[in-house]
Amino acid sequence: MWWLRSVFLKTLRDYRVAILGWGIGMGLVLVATMASVATLTTTQQAREQLVSLAAQFSWNADAVAVDTVGGYATFKIGIFIFLIALWPLLAGSRMLRGEEDRGSLDVLLSVPRPRVRVALEKLAAIWTALLAMGVLIGLVAFAGGQKFGATFSLGDALLFGLNLALVCALIGGLALLISQFTQEQGPAAGWTGGLLLIFIVLDMVHRVVPNTEWISRLSPIYYYNLSKPLVPSYGVNVGAMLVLLALALILSGASVWLFARRDIGGTVPLPRWLRLPERTASQALPVGDWSLRSVYARSLGMMAVPAMWWTLLISGWAVWVVVVVQQLQAKLSALLASSPAFINVIKNIGGGDATLSTGLLSAMLFFLPLFLMAFVVTQVNGWSADEQDGRLDLVLAAPQPRLQVLLGRFGALATATIVISLITLLATAAAAAYAGLNLDLGNLAAATLGMVPLGLLVAGIGYMAAGWLRTAADTGLLSFLLAAWFFISFIGPELKLPDATLRLSAFYYYGTPLLHGLQLTSVLEVVAVAVIALGIGAARFARKDIAV
Amino acid sequence: MAAIIEVQGLTKSYGRKRGIADVSFSVDEGEVFGFLGPNGAGKTTTIRILMALIRAGSGTARIAGLDCWHQSVEIKKLVGYVPGEPALDPNLTGGQILEFFAHLRGGVDQAYLKQLIERFDLDTSRKFRQYSTGNKRKVVLIQAFMHRPRLLILDEPTSGLDPLNQHEFDRMVKEVRDEGRTVCLSSHILSEVEKTCTRVGIIRAGSIVRIGGVAEVTAIKRYEMTITFGDAIPADAFRTLEGVIETEALDNGHTVRLAMQGPADAVIKAAARYPVVSLTSHEPSLEDIFLRYYEGDAAAKEAEHVVA
Repeated sequence: MWWLRSVFLKTLRDYRVAILGWGIGMGLVLVATMASVATLTTTQQAREQLVSLAAQFSWNADAVAVDTVGGYATFKIGIFIFLIALWPLLAGSRMLRGEEDRGSLDVLLSVPRPRVRVALEKLAAIWTALLAMGVLIGLVAFAGGQKFGATFSLGDALLFGLNLALVCALIGGLALLISQFTQEQGPAAGWTGGLLLIFIVLDMVHRVVPNTEWISRLSPIYYYNLSKPLVPSYGVNVGAMLVLLALALILSGASVWLFARRDIGGTVPLPRWLRLPERTASQALPVGDWSLRSVYARSLGMMAVPAMWWTLLISGWAVWVVVVVQQLQAKLSALLASSPAFINVIKNIGGGDATLSTGLLSAMLFFLPLFLMAFVVTQVNGWSADEQDGRLDLVLAAPQPRLQVLLGRFGALATATIVISLITLLATAAAAAYAGLNLDLGNLAAATLGMVPLGLLVAGIGYMAAGWLRTAADTGLLSFLLAAWFFISFIGPELKLPDATLRLSAFYYYGTPLLHGLQLTSVLEVVAVAVIALGIGAARFARKDIAV
Repeated sequence: MAAIIEVQGLTKSYGRKRGIADVSFSVDEGEVFGFLGPNGAGKTTTIRILMALIRAGSGTARIAGLDCWHQSVEIKKLVGYVPGEPALDPNLTGGQILEFFAHLRGGVDQAYLKQLIERFDLDTSRKFRQYSTGNKRKVVLIQAFMHRPRLLILDEPTSGLDPLNQHEFDRMVKEVRDEGRTVCLSSHILSEVEKTCTRVGIIRAGSIVRIGGVAEVTAIKRYEMTITFGDAIPADAFRTLEGVIETEALDNGHTVRLAMQGPADAVIKAAARYPVVSLTSHEPSLEDIFLRYYEGDAAAKEAEHVVA
């Protein structure tokens, strides 16, 4: 077992799935953007419209040669840097602090090997993983570019991957540094995520407000965007890449330096004015905490914070769509007129017999149930993990039927989905009133509240599968289902898939509620399947061996 | 006394992995019963069947006359449980965890709960994830005792506790026994069971090999003594002494290792005739005892001597 010969190899082995998944996955995201260029540049007029449209969205990224495959992909991927940086952010915050949380670092540091070397080997593994991901992204991008007629070379594609790897190394280094000051891994990841958002906004400033480039220079993302290897006429900025490399080295070096000097399990002491008030030991019991009164209430309490973030995402998306849809339609009109394929996609998702404005709105709101179902997947994952990790043992040792425990958790999830949908409805209605958009309130309610049965369906299937599958397999199955349903409903009509196949997707039963309201039979069908799945899951849970 | 726990022919297998086979024993109301066995012997499997967390392949398990699987909710009203590996919501504080379980049990005597917290000196304001192993154990011990259950089922309850808290735990078990309540605790430490329990069941490789009073089990307790001398000495000088079961000469006769059972007086006196450099004595692990004591067919022979 050669991969167990060193900390470096062992850590790199731990990253093998992430290297392949993230590398190929991000490469495919890039290729997906390349695929749409041809349909957007069929005529000279459409090409000019695309350039004009991109210029209007330049807050997102520099609109350089957006009518070329490489330029368009670079432009589109701009805002996705947040997604791309997610892995190094998590890996950096977990590298040392995560192991300290689990207590495994104590064992690792008990071997006769200097602490700095252990940290450097782990760091080297992250950097190697990022380079491997960069190479994979470059290779997939090159292959995609060849398919869609791009002009960039393999070297350009690999330089694109390298530039990504460098900015990711910097973000990972930042997370690693912050984790030296936090007691747990989560806050380090949260702080880094917050800083990343600030960096992205800072980088945007100079593209929106003239003469503010000096502000954007404070953001590492600015230096990342100075290189556009997929646009051969633009090329790379070696100086900017060196700045990224230097910052990544400084952050990582400082992290290792601090790690070598602090207590394991402790943090680097902050200046007094930055410290939180010291917690004093107490033997008091909480009084009047509603979330401790039952399994249902406790489950609701557990979901509160993630549900809040998902509510912000879902209702935020709905509000944004409602506010910009008219503006977007005006800007897209010429482009859409010359791109029947794009119009078809909108009609297939948004509803075929509607005006473009409402159809576009309907199509964009199509993502709402997808987001809600993704939230449900994360919660089902939590249920399955609680059982697998033994956290249900003591709950089930209390005098209450297993069924009550499962239904308590399910009930809390159902409540959360209803609350998210209601808030989305209220926010969207308010946004429509603000934007002067005349929407049928009944249909808007159908579009938002109609998400709930789909959420319950995913929950039912997830709870059922959790009766047999382990957490990773259950989550994988649900994620696959979501992707398959989305593919069937998004692309299926264009591929002329038979109606029987389209009916396999849950989105089919959601329909186009903004235009046509909810179809009662469809809702009942979804609810019936959800109830059956939950019933099977409950029967299984009532009889199964726990945490085996 | 009537039996509060009755286990008959209990069998559980995990595919190819070993479980338990034909386990039978009973625990009388008011006694402290020790369930002793090395790691992986089947203690936790048996306890999890009693708690209806897993279902037996065959056999019956009853608590207070109720079937452990079909009437588990009624049983859990009577039982306080400590799992072998306490896993709880890592984001709740110790106080929140205790309050949550108090609600799940329909409320507990808050004054008694506070008393337990004070006895274990638990800081209830820390999150479960921030607790040390010992403090995590304190939280689950308090939640098991806080509703004054008729029966306590404790899976390796003192694992990770410091001696002070172990002592406190021993006192609490004695109080429970004095109040006529019952404790069934598992352990792999012979001396711990010896100290706390009135009766002991020994499980090995998924099967009960011996059940009896503590004194009876203590009889199998062996220990090792290693004596290093300034000069080479004849190891045979110890072979026939009282309490010596085996002798082994090491280091060209400078060291002698003795397997002992019973008093060491004769050995000490014999050793005193030579220049002793060091003398160490340690209790062998239970696994060692089993390997030696039950090797071959001895297990089968011992099973015949089970005291009901």
